[in-house]
Amino acid sequence: MSDYENRLKILSGLIVCAVMLLIARAGYLQVYQGDEYVRRADGNRTRLIPTMAPRGTFFDRNGLSIVENRPGFTVSLLPLTAPIKPEVVDRVSKLLNVPKEEIEAKIKAHTGYEPIRIKTDVGPEALTVIEEQSALYPGVIIEVQAVRDYLYKEQGAHILGYVSEISDMELEERKNEGYKTGDIIGQFGLERVYDKELRGKNGGELVEVDVTGKPVQILGQKEPMSGYDFHLTIDWRLQAATEKAVDDQLNLIGAKAAAAVVMNPQTGEVLALVSRPAFDPNLFVHGISEKNWKLINENPYDPLGNKAIMGEYPPGSTFKIVTGTAALSEEVVTPTEQILDTGVYWLGEKGNAGGEVLGWLDFTSALAHSDNYYFYEMGYRLGVDRLEKYARMFGLGEKTGINLPYEGEGLAPSRTYKEKYLEEEWYDSETLDAAIGQGFNLVTPLQAAMVMGEIAANGQRYKPYLVSKIVDSEGKIIKEYKPTLLSTLDVPDSVIQLVQQGLRDVTKEGTAAGVFGAYFPVDIAGKTGTAENPQGADHGWFVAYGPFNNPNIVVSVIVENGGFGSQSAVPIGKKILEAAFSIAGLMPGGR
Amino acid sequence: MPALVASAFFGAICPTSFERKVYMNKRWLRRMDFTLIFATAAIILMSLVIIGSATHINTAAGGSFVQRQGLFALVNIALAVFFMNFDYKMLQRYGMTLYWINLALLVAVMLFGHSALGAQRWIQIGPISLQPSEFSKIIMIISLAALLEDKVGKLNTLHDLLPIAAFVGVPFLLVLKQPDLGTSLVFIAIFLGMIFAAGVNLKLLGAIFGAGLLASPILWHFLKDYQKMRILVFLDPNVDPLGSGYHIIQSEIAIGSGQLFGKGLFEGTQSQLDFLPENHTDFIFAVVGEELGFVGAAFLLIMYLILLWRGIKIARDASDTFGMLLAVGITSMLVFHVLVNIGMTMGIMPVTGIPLPLMSYGISSLTTNIMSIAILLNVYMKKQRLVF
Repeated sequence: MSDYENRLKILSGLIVCAVMLLIARAGYLQVYQGDEYVRRADGNRTRLIPTMAPRGTFFDRNGLSIVENRPGFTVSLLPLTAPIKPEVVDRVSKLLNVPKEEIEAKIKAHTGYEPIRIKTDVGPEALTVIEEQSALYPGVIIEVQAVRDYLYKEQGAHILGYVSEISDMELEERKNEGYKTGDIIGQFGLERVYDKELRGKNGGELVEVDVTGKPVQILGQKEPMSGYDFHLTIDWRLQAATEKAVDDQLNLIGAKAAAAVVMNPQTGEVLALVSRPAFDPNLFVHGISEKNWKLINENPYDPLGNKAIMGEYPPGSTFKIVTGTAALSEEVVTPTEQILDTGVYWLGEKGNAGGEVLGWLDFTSALAHSDNYYFYEMGYRLGVDRLEKYARMFGLGEKTGINLPYEGEGLAPSRTYKEKYLEEEWYDSETLDAAIGQGFNLVTPLQAAMVMGEIAANGQRYKPYLVSKIVDSEGKIIKEYKPTLLSTLDVPDSVIQLVQQGLRDVTKEGTAAGVFGAYFPVDIAGKTGTAENPQGADHGWFVAYGPFNNPNIVVSVIVENGGFGSQSAVPIGKKILEAAFSIAGLMPGGR
Repeated sequence: MPALVASAFFGAICPTSFERKVYMNKRWLRRMDFTLIFATAAIILMSLVIIGSATHINTAAGGSFVQRQGLFALVNIALAVFFMNFDYKMLQRYGMTLYWINLALLVAVMLFGHSALGAQRWIQIGPISLQPSEFSKIIMIISLAALLEDKVGKLNTLHDLLPIAAFVGVPFLLVLKQPDLGTSLVFIAIFLGMIFAAGVNLKLLGAIFGAGLLASPILWHFLKDYQKMRILVFLDPNVDPLGSGYHIIQSEIAIGSGQLFGKGLFEGTQSQLDFLPENHTDFIFAVVGEELGFVGAAFLLIMYLILLWRGIKIARDASDTFGMLLAVGITSMLVFHVLVNIGMTMGIMPVTGIPLPLMSYGISSLTTNIMSIAILLNVYMKKQRLVF
């Protein structure tokens, strides 16, 4: 008996040990490590759900709304307790027409608790399927997100730009600026330049969720701060008219690419800015489809390029404004000196296009008729260095500083440039080319407008700008932009007046007179140009300003491969000027 | 006989009626182990409260788990009271019969049972799903006690032990085949506890352990993949944090976050928001830990300690060897359940899916455990008279 008594004592000892072990373990977990487990339990049950701040919108100079946000439905995956099942991925892929591989890649790249966004702006049919058959879609959720809405589609696309979800590369670059996966970011145009101001500050909700991720209650809230609204200098009606003028002309002559800039020369305000071909920024909002991207990306005329500020073209005869100003200021010619155009200039053996011979010419008639012989002579008398000096005085060869990305700086004719980059010395014949806007001489359509604008504004060069003011969601002005005078041409007033007269004669008796005719109601100064293009047909130019006595409109138009400027670009310019001067309120009467 | 049941049960409630029975009840009462009854009642009451919390009884979506468990607790207590009229000693006579019935039931499960969660354990009788492997534990204890009764002190050679091992081995293998690793391990615990008390030669026992240890790598091959996974996950829950490891991780978070005083009944975020799986069955201890804190958990463990300690005490005081062996078998079964289940919820035992006695929701388990307590009480009633 006593033997099993002992054994039973051992058994009770074991039992006590077992229970004590359990009590010790409970004490360790609950008392010693309790705080850590509380933290983990809270991490389990709480989620920080960001509330996207509404992105700021855009208005034209008259307060017309041109970009808004509308609510859209996003289908996302939220794997909390178990990975999303392959059959669910299959179903989602079929329903939303998103490739399976793409969804799988997103799942693989995902970390943390935030939903994996599969498709934004999903239509009602797919949403109904997901909601009604929710048992077939475990872990699939529908979120409401603001979707950017470019109300006028392609119109003004190059000014506004577009937005899309931030890419991995951008995220890596801009992590420190508070960007997160899935954020919407401006990719081009003003959307890109002012992304920080437009995006506002995201808010968030701290919610308690159950194991399926379904919110049970809200524990805390931070209101999102809306992005700032932008009021532009653009006149949306003039923008529309400009685009229509360009499109009509392109259709008429069968050209594909063009650009136009309309500004107020007295302030630097950009009133319209067009580049063709264009694109619809709405296509990028949902994540652009492969088909649409192919259409845009494989178009040889580069719809995404803003030719008005990025396109660099030989200025052609529009450069004679610079050459002429230089020649008079440097007094290598007097206004009344007559020069005989004999057809072929002795150096380089070139003359007017088409072999036209114009005979005796003074300064203003040479400018009005765009005589190459006369300006070869001017170039010869000036030399390349003085030509470069004046080109730079007009602001050529450098960015204008407009608030858009990827602006080109063009190229001012320069001996040192050629020596530096081509390691060749400068030839005098190249000076002649440069003097009539060919050869080592490139400008953007915006720069061409600036040069014309400086003549219009009696030598004053204003920085071009697109934004007049930035206001917050309550209408308080955050920032206001005023005209910035960059420089004044260092030439006598009489010289500018002579150039102005020559340019006015262009529409009266010169190269643009045929289009403008005798009865155009507003006095217009203009200059045509034809840029030689070694790759194909010449590009046609037209720059103009008006009204002649108190100009508040300057226009620059280029039609790629349009041939003579007088035939391709001038009709566009004329229509733009017609639109500009028939619109009430656009003529503030100067400054 | 039914009249006796009724009078016994209601006699306890209305002691003034039927004088003769009152006398009987008083004799009963004098011979009751009130410490054991107190611990058992405390655990059952706690179980009903915690099952209520775990199944969201306070919300519209709450189930009827508490009602069912409570009802079956009452039915079982009534049955237990009824069984007090019998002497446990008569069980000895039915030892072998019960053993064969047990085998028949386990084979029936194999043939006709329906499976859930990959294991074939249930037999459907009307609205009730029974789990014969639960009852087979108590039957095993009775028949093994009957077998060992005249062998106490005579378990010295392998030759002595082998028939007993085979006796336990057959039902063991049938349960393992279901597959129900947890319950089959309970058989081993019962077997070891009872032969230990029956005075098995310790050297022999040691040798068997040694052999078992050596054989374990071979046994590994016989385990199902999910069983292997459970053992791997036990060694490191982060092996499979969203699969098998998920239960352990969530359970530890629940218990740990309860801290000293708990989050309060119905306030456990892990349990109420369903992060904790099986929170009314196998992982019910995690709900206790989360909502009642270390204080509640320790209280429950002390109740188990009292219950188990009384089990050994009853074994020591038993009037015969059969009673002693019964009490040891039952206590071994209970201690194994408590240690493995609670250890599992706190990450110090592998997940084997065995319930916490008297706490976990489940009718088969509850019935087995209340019957076990009833047998303990019966053995206590017939204990040796101490010299007054």
